Amino acid sequence: MQIQIDEYAHLNSWIHRWDPRYKLVAIACLIFAFACIESLWLLPLIVAITVGLYVTSRLPLRFLCRRLRYPGLFLLGIVVLLPWQAGETVLWQVGSLSLRQEGLVAVLLIACRFLCILTAGLVLLGTMSFLTTIKAMRALGLPVVLSDMTLLTYRYLFEVADSLKTMQRAMRLRGYGAGYRQSSSHPRSHGHSHSHGHRRWAVPSLQDVNRLASLTGTLFIRSYEQSERVYKAMRLRGYGSGYRPQLAAMLAPAPGDLPPWLSRLAAAVTVTIAMALVGLEVAL
Amino acid sequence: MHIPDGILPAQICAAGYAITAPVTWYSLRKLNRQADPTAGIPKASLLTAAFFVASSIHIPIPPASVHLVLNGLLGAVLGYYAFPAILVGLFFQAVLLGHGGLTTLGINAVMIGVPALVAYNLFTLRHQLRRTVSDRLADGLCGFLAGAVGLGLAALIFFALIITTIPAGFDQVVEQRAIYGLTLAHIPLALIEGSFTAMLVTFLQRAKPEVLQDYRA
Repeated sequence: MQIQIDEYAHLNSWIHRWDPRYKLVAIACLIFAFACIESLWLLPLIVAITVGLYVTSRLPLRFLCRRLRYPGLFLLGIVVLLPWQAGETVLWQVGSLSLRQEGLVAVLLIACRFLCILTAGLVLLGTMSFLTTIKAMRALGLPVVLSDMTLLTYRYLFEVADSLKTMQRAMRLRGYGAGYRQSSSHPRSHGHSHSHGHRRWAVPSLQDVNRLASLTGTLFIRSYEQSERVYKAMRLRGYGSGYRPQLAAMLAPAPGDLPPWLSRLAAAVTVTIAMALVGLEVAL
Repeated sequence: MHIPDGILPAQICAAGYAITAPVTWYSLRKLNRQADPTAGIPKASLLTAAFFVASSIHIPIPPASVHLVLNGLLGAVLGYYAFPAILVGLFFQAVLLGHGGLTTLGINAVMIGVPALVAYNLFTLRHQLRRTVSDRLADGLCGFLAGAVGLGLAALIFFALIITTIPAGFDQVVEQRAIYGLTLAHIPLALIEGSFTAMLVTFLQRAKPEVLQDYRA
């Protein structure tokens, strides 16, 4: 599981040094402005803005490519399907397949919006540590229950994933799924999470479902027991007593950060661009 | 079954957030009425992580992807924590896996979280049902209902959204056929999800009944 989002949070660019609260508001506005775009000729503009944002953030291209791998599959599905299905105006025909203009336009819109929103989101979340993101959201009014749950969930994702891996290995060692693969001769060097092998696409039998339910149930019970211990330990350290450190102090700018006026100016400019985009879209 | 960025019109995304906000507020209010609202947070978080991991295996089928959603189960186990938990879980799926999206977080939370709350209420019916049938049967039955209805409702909302907003210029016949096809395809999925939830609930009831205790104060 590709789980690190803030591995490049230590880099140094103006976006990294931007006050997280202003950055959050500004880029979120930009993302929603991207979602509003419906006219074709605004697409080059939003692509240019996104590229500019990504390049100046100095995040490596590798990061973007790796992040795009799974969502890219979805995009591929849309690109392959939609131009042949939707629309009236036929541009090009091969046999019974015909490439249609409306479908093509829709694909272009969806793909550009999708990529731009995703990239801007990566710039937003990839340029600060995850903890800083949550603190900034907290400062902007995220309820305590949600911020605590987000942080704790993030903390436990890794452990639960490990725990599942261990249990799946244990199941395999005890022979679960062995019957399915009698014919496959090649060694399985990957795919611990796809323990059904090539049977994954078939309709699961009731017995399979029952085994998987027990596996998931065990995962829950382990997590539950662990959470009880964690809760007691947290209580002993003062959790739930009402004491909360001052957020303003936690978000105080570090020496290298942008001065507050510059952070505000950058946010103002970004929000203005976002509003201009929406304005153009509405005017057209 | 999450809707990614860039597909839905911005108004729908905004509407999603507009519905998510009051539902979150309502859930949080219910939680804050408990004697100690922080007591449930570590448990809810760990179970959110467990759900996230359990449902992270998915098969991409445009315009979305399919896997065990487990939202009915989440409602049954977490009660009013379910909606915040789903919000947090979806946020992580969008951010870490690129599954779902930031602009569609609100609409996805409504699609998956509101059925979870319905499932929770269905699951609490087991207390009444226990008076007439055996405990195990009552748990299993209500678990099945919670799982199947949780997924079924989510699928209905999903298709309503997809059909009313996306296919620009799809012809009527193709559209109709797609609706029926997809709806039919989800009946077995709802049955699988329901049986899975029923089995898991009876397993939990047998092995660790505290997990299923209600969050009502």
